[in-house]
Amino acid sequence: MFLQVLFVALALTVAGCSQKQEQKTDDKNIVKIWHWMTDRQSAFDKLADQYFNETGVKVIFETYAPTDVYKNKITAAASGQLLPDIFNPLSDKRELASYIKAGFIADLTDEMNSGWKDIFFEKSLEQNRFTEGNEWDVKPGYYGVPLDVSSLMIYYNKDLFTQAGLDPNNPPKTWAEFIEAGKKLRAANIQPFVSGFGEAWLIGAFAASYQWELFGKEGILDTIDGKVAYNDPRWVRIFGLLNEMKENKMFASGMVTMVNKDAERTFATGRAGMTFNGSWGVNVYKSMNPNLNYGVMAPPQLPDAKYPLLIFGGDGSAMFVNAMSPNKDKAIAFLKWLTQRPQQSFLSAETLNIPSNKESAQDLPDVLKTFSESIANTFENLPKLESWQVVNYININLQSVMIGEKTPKQAADEVQAEKIRQEKAKK
Amino acid sequence: MITPKEKTINMMFIMPALLLFLVFNFYPLLRTFQLSFFQWNGIDKEMVFVGFAQYKDILFNNPAFWKSMLNAGYITLLALTLQNGLALLLALLVNRQIKGDNIYRVIFFLPPVLSGIVVGLIWKFVYDGNFGILNHWLISLGFDNFKDFAWLSEIKTALSSVAVVHMWKGFGYGFIILLAGLQTIPNELYEAAEVDGADTWQQFKHITFPSMIPVFTIVTILTILGTMQIFDLIYSMTRGGPAGYTHVPITKIYEYMSNGEFGYSTAMAIIFGVVLLVVSFGQLYVSKKFNR
Amino acid sequence: MNLFKAKKILTSSITHIILIAVAVTCIFPVFWMLSSSLKTQEEIFTKMALFPETWQWGNYVEAFVKAEFGIYFLNSVFYTVVGVSCIVFITSLAAYGFARLEFWGKNFFFYLLISTLLIPIPGIFVPLYLLLKKLTLLDTRTGLLLCYISGGLAFGLFVLRSFFEELPKEIEEAALIDGCSRFGIYWRIALPLAKPAIATLVILNCLTIWNEFLMALVVLQDKAKMPIQRGLMVFQGTFITDYPLLMAGLTIATIPILIVYLLMQKHIVKGIAAGALKG
Repeated sequence: MFLQVLFVALALTVAGCSQKQEQKTDDKNIVKIWHWMTDRQSAFDKLADQYFNETGVKVIFETYAPTDVYKNKITAAASGQLLPDIFNPLSDKRELASYIKAGFIADLTDEMNSGWKDIFFEKSLEQNRFTEGNEWDVKPGYYGVPLDVSSLMIYYNKDLFTQAGLDPNNPPKTWAEFIEAGKKLRAANIQPFVSGFGEAWLIGAFAASYQWELFGKEGILDTIDGKVAYNDPRWVRIFGLLNEMKENKMFASGMVTMVNKDAERTFATGRAGMTFNGSWGVNVYKSMNPNLNYGVMAPPQLPDAKYPLLIFGGDGSAMFVNAMSPNKDKAIAFLKWLTQRPQQSFLSAETLNIPSNKESAQDLPDVLKTFSESIANTFENLPKLESWQVVNYININLQSVMIGEKTPKQAADEVQAEKIRQEKAKK
Repeated sequence: MITPKEKTINMMFIMPALLLFLVFNFYPLLRTFQLSFFQWNGIDKEMVFVGFAQYKDILFNNPAFWKSMLNAGYITLLALTLQNGLALLLALLVNRQIKGDNIYRVIFFLPPVLSGIVVGLIWKFVYDGNFGILNHWLISLGFDNFKDFAWLSEIKTALSSVAVVHMWKGFGYGFIILLAGLQTIPNELYEAAEVDGADTWQQFKHITFPSMIPVFTIVTILTILGTMQIFDLIYSMTRGGPAGYTHVPITKIYEYMSNGEFGYSTAMAIIFGVVLLVVSFGQLYVSKKFNR
Repeated sequence: MNLFKAKKILTSSITHIILIAVAVTCIFPVFWMLSSSLKTQEEIFTKMALFPETWQWGNYVEAFVKAEFGIYFLNSVFYTVVGVSCIVFITSLAAYGFARLEFWGKNFFFYLLISTLLIPIPGIFVPLYLLLKKLTLLDTRTGLLLCYISGGLAFGLFVLRSFFEELPKEIEEAALIDGCSRFGIYWRIALPLAKPAIATLVILNCLTIWNEFLMALVVLQDKAKMPIQRGLMVFQGTFITDYPLLMAGLTIATIPILIVYLLMQKHIVKGIAAGALKG
């Protein structure tokens, strides 16, 4: 019997499938935006309503998650030249350069230079700015509009610190103090440190702080150029830092394959004393455990290092204007409005993100202020990037050291071998 | 005996499938196949023709990819034996019309129906080093050295732990296909055998097993293809870690693609496809021989 | 006699122990999903109790409203029903052809058709997207359905052909002599005989289409055409996952599939063994 029922449905196909795309009422007054931040949908929608009332321009925010799916959608739309008026390609700088060179992203330099850029944290503009002589031959200038900023710091649980006999108002500043704190926490039966090091970029970001501290900008560029090897003693030392943490049992159980959402849960539930996480964590911890009593500190410094320790960060999410869009001007006008203080303060109050607008940052709660002050110390803009394969190798070898599979020296040698292989492949 | 005209008319049976296939499967496949000879990131206007260079690099210069193939092979071997063994056992038991067989039939298909999100969360909870159920049991049984043992983060256990979840999530598929197969064996055969005094084992050996060979072939091939192409579970449980120890071909291909290596990842997929092709046809060949 | 009875009891208890043990592992996640769906977010993270402190039935209402299931639900039903019907019809027709009929290039076409099972093309969505654009089928239900249907071809063909091959030929031959057309035999005899296999195929394809969202999100633009999985995305933010609502949403989204399974699995049982052979 059921076969007949099934095939009746076939008739539906004819009826249901021939629906034509609905004609939009007034395309000229619509600005479409694609983004992956689904948790900001309602805040975005409220702003869009307000903007419509003020200007008559309808802004449609469409958010898609998870990020992989969003990325696929963007890639497909780019190949079909059907990108929305405003979007974010969710890419690294290399790929961003491709988007710009293929004519998908508008150059906003003129707008920025006529006063717009002054309202932002300087660092928030850097990631989407191309400088003279960049590796990818992109026309120098500003391309992205930062919506918010973020940085990665170490959160510590004040109650657990007290429990372990540590001063909750005086967190470790140097690496030695950091290790010492770890020992005390472990002795008090508390897991000292957790982070989503199963996600390659996060372990990479942690190590990169020390790369900046030991090598400085020139040193890093020399390494990318192959003038400094990855088995340089300084790199061995960076790998050694993770080894030292491992030797002192600082890592939470299962950390090497842990994704950040799980690490956040571990920290939020008081099962680890410290965590390396982004400024978005403030909102996450609030939702998981509003009573969590924590403070924030910079990654501990190496006292003998030659350069300042910088941290991973800059723009949290940026918007790019579709260069092919007929509504380009309306899109830019909307972004200008969106980055003004009232709108930025509203967004940050709703989503607990740090606004990219400097003035709005004054309206922030204390913990977020610490983060916003740290923005000045984020990594500098580099005109070139290491090949992703080598970066990948660094991250995997950092994991290997974490679990004691390789010594720091072995790991550094492996990375250098991959670097040489990639250099050869390039030729 | 069959006229050419009849042969042409008979082709109408496969026409709808063939047309759809050519437009929506074959054409995109050709387009991507073409990509494998280019270096391209999916966005750039120009694609750089590199001939077989990417194939060469994968074949001779990418041990990590071949290691991922071995990992998938390992999980597949486990799935073929343990998972399908369990599926067959359960299908046979339920097929005997024992009490509550209807309920079991529903319950065993719950894992495939369940969302991957729930499955990932639950099993991470089982394997967790600190508060995982597994360690809790092991410690209460006296194995104290499993305190803080993170199953998914240890080189020795990560891959097998993921394999267990994969088999648990997948046995339901084998179960219902095997059950459907068992149901097509006419009852009369068993009745006749019983009259002849054959015991359960003899019935299995002489009736069930031979009648089920085609179904075994289906299940085997689907298991091979489904397991070799495992992705979601690995991605959600370990992301290929610790230190790359649980990478499988699709996570590798995905890694290259998300780093803007469209051409290279396509070449990887094609090499992987060829390997699967060889394995599948080998399996078909063996089972055909068996069938005779 | 007693020995025989004891043995029987023993076998039956072992059978049930195995079945129950496996069943428990299958039920536990469902129980956990239900229990989590009735907790608060904070409770999920800070307490590990099996049951919720207070049962938050409101989560279901909230999930249903927030995920806008009202819109998406019917779409998903539509995609699944139409997609699966087409897959079953097209593949069974072709599978019957491959199993029973003679025509040009039979083996070649068969292996060509199932070859898509073998090559997992990364980024296949890009050429598909461009193809749909050329056919002006982007952002249409038809476009998405065509992707789904073509995606299910190889699997269905592969499974069904083996089943058709195993069916006894005698009935069909008799019908042929009686003057039935080939299509008539396929429709009236072969298809009903293959019911267990078709029911299996229906279940598996329903599962695939019901849970699919990647293709839908890439192909579709208009919210009004999106499937149910789009609604679930709302709870999985980039940074925060709303677990109670997500679990409630997942529960709601799982129920229809379970119903399909319940309806279909009866046909797996009552298939051929019930005496279709005699008729």
